[in-house]
Amino acid sequence: MHSVEKVLAARGLVAKTGPRFSGDRPMVKRNKNWKQIILFLLPVLTLFLLYFVYPLIFVFVTSFTEWNGISAMQFKGLGNYKRLFLSDTFRLSFRNNILWALVLGLVQIPLAAGMAMVLARKPRGWKTFRTIYFLPNVISQVALAMMWLAVYNAEYGMLNGLLNSVGLEQLTHNWLGEYETAFPAVIFQQLFYIGYFMIVILASRMGIPESFYEAAEIDGANVLQQEAHITIPMLRGILVTTMTLAMAFGMRHFESTYLMTNGGPAHQTSVMGIVLYRNLEALRFGEANAIGTILIVTGGVVIALLRWFFGRKASASETVQ
Amino acid sequence: MKTWKILALLLILALTVPGFLLAQSAAETGETVLKWPTIWVGEDSKAGEVERLVMEFNTLNEGKYQVDIEANPDYDGYRTKINAQVAANAVPDLFVFNPDPTSFSYYEGDRLMDFADELAGDWGKVFVGGAIGDATINGETKSIPYEIGVTPIWYNEALMVKAGVTEYPETIDDFWKVADKLKAAGIVPTSQMTGGTNAWTSMLWFSHIAMSIGGPKVWDKPITDPVFEKAAEILLKMYSDGNTTKDAVGGDAGVSGGHYLAGRTAMFINGPWYIGRVRGEAPDVYENTKIASLPAAGDYPGGQIGFALSNLAAGATDNAAKKGGVLAFMKWMTEPENVKAISMDSGAMFAVKFQTGAGDAVDPLQKKFTDAVNDASFVGTHFATVYPSDVVAEFGQALAKMALGRATPAEFLQQIKSVID
Repeated sequence: MHSVEKVLAARGLVAKTGPRFSGDRPMVKRNKNWKQIILFLLPVLTLFLLYFVYPLIFVFVTSFTEWNGISAMQFKGLGNYKRLFLSDTFRLSFRNNILWALVLGLVQIPLAAGMAMVLARKPRGWKTFRTIYFLPNVISQVALAMMWLAVYNAEYGMLNGLLNSVGLEQLTHNWLGEYETAFPAVIFQQLFYIGYFMIVILASRMGIPESFYEAAEIDGANVLQQEAHITIPMLRGILVTTMTLAMAFGMRHFESTYLMTNGGPAHQTSVMGIVLYRNLEALRFGEANAIGTILIVTGGVVIALLRWFFGRKASASETVQ
Repeated sequence: MKTWKILALLLILALTVPGFLLAQSAAETGETVLKWPTIWVGEDSKAGEVERLVMEFNTLNEGKYQVDIEANPDYDGYRTKINAQVAANAVPDLFVFNPDPTSFSYYEGDRLMDFADELAGDWGKVFVGGAIGDATINGETKSIPYEIGVTPIWYNEALMVKAGVTEYPETIDDFWKVADKLKAAGIVPTSQMTGGTNAWTSMLWFSHIAMSIGGPKVWDKPITDPVFEKAAEILLKMYSDGNTTKDAVGGDAGVSGGHYLAGRTAMFINGPWYIGRVRGEAPDVYENTKIASLPAAGDYPGGQIGFALSNLAAGATDNAAKKGGVLAFMKWMTEPENVKAISMDSGAMFAVKFQTGAGDAVDPLQKKFTDAVNDASFVGTHFATVYPSDVVAEFGQALAKMALGRATPAEFLQQIKSVID
């Protein structure tokens, strides 16, 4: 345990080995009113089975068939999966989804956490900034995509206009129409929408007692040390949760790419959702459902890996303590 | 214990009663309500007249039939919605679809209403020759031919004159000379696009070029045929040396159409449904727009592209009242006077015959479209009507690759072929 944490623990401000990870289970009193519980759960359970579990099973089963949604299904074994993994477009889309997940989890979340830490110290105008950062979350994705299309446009876009105006004509591009720039350009615009995660992290950060920071300050810890040794350890649970969410969003990313590039140019920005959508348009439901299954499985694997990794780290750090 | 049960019961009721009440209120009116999810709303040039005709139909059939428009202004989203509804066997009462190889799959099974018997009578006589035949598969006519498309070359004569061009080019070699003159005058020669679901403008340029080289039956040839390779070479040149705008790669229909409307490009391709938009948003361009066929690129000059653009269809039903309502509405929408009203207002062309008299204000640009078809040496179709939607979607992606110098014309075609296979 670091010195600041040791001091806080010695003063009884931080539990030495208390539950720190949201996965820790508190003791639950067994409720014996099972009839009432079942009665209450029944409506939602029915809807859940009908509208989630059944479609999930249906998607999985039909992923092994050739089916246009109208004629009878024909069993195709692993044919759809084989075709997908032999397709350059699908492999590229799969790789792009992984990149989306990594960038959102490892860049967007640190940005959101950093901003939450700054705002939590309530600098001048912090409420205004909080609103500004959250604002994109209440604007439709379509409107935002249209705005970025206008920013990136090669002929009349704001970005090229800006570069031209400061004499950097050589840096102008058809941002969404070139191999080198299209994918970074689509990811870049999404990175700034930190508002949702920032608010979640900020809410947790606000829950940390100010006395911790005051005690640390008395002991000579500067702001960075306070954030590193008080805030981050205490926000560990919420950081893992937001990172998991962000990576899950990355794995199933679709909207802004579809709206801005439709996967182009030459599939360079394509993601699995776009390939799935194309198959739906072509009435190839078997192949579309195979992609759906891959999306669900890879999403689950990414989340499980993340939980395992951070769970292992948490156990290791507690063992050291 | 009792409170728990009451609360649980209330929860169940809250989840089930609203749906039950909604269903009952529809049944109580005694009117047959037909839901019509349609794309002819919002900015669509046909929206105004279509809405008026629906309202008029509802007034004439008050207490009997009622058509409710469900607005779906996003064409691609609409297509996906219809695909899903047909697959789920929840076909809308009325809908519109593009008659292409993918959408004709709707005909399989018994999910669509068959109009063959009704069309065999007097109703069938209102349609132009061959239209019903094109909508009939195995003796079943499960859709009504409606809007047709003609997509000639549009050019802005004022921009041509500004560049010192006095005559529209006759051959593709002349076309490049005109392009050079336009560029020298600071005008971009053509509107192009690789984006959208079908790279519409460029797909039409390619189709015109291919037909000019290979004739109206060019689509019978395999996509890797040298005719298509030659067409791809010409299309690639249109993307090179400033012959199109910088944002053409990745650009969608808004980009290619927008440049023409803004007077930035001199040549463009689209159908008559775009007339209303040009007239309203760019009157100067509208005044100066002329219609032509592609300058000859091969042995088949003077051709035009004509095709069925939208068919009307309906979900099959055993409900006699609903069937009666669908038939009444289909007949209403295909009445020559009603079709004429939509056509006059929007510029769109239809598979329904109607007469125009001296008192009718036929749009001059629309008349040029009609003349273009009448004067054409032949009328063929385009790439997107021949291949399924996933192949059509690949066209734009492969074109972007070629335009960016990452694929040769032969590789461009090979990429499309890989999806056909």
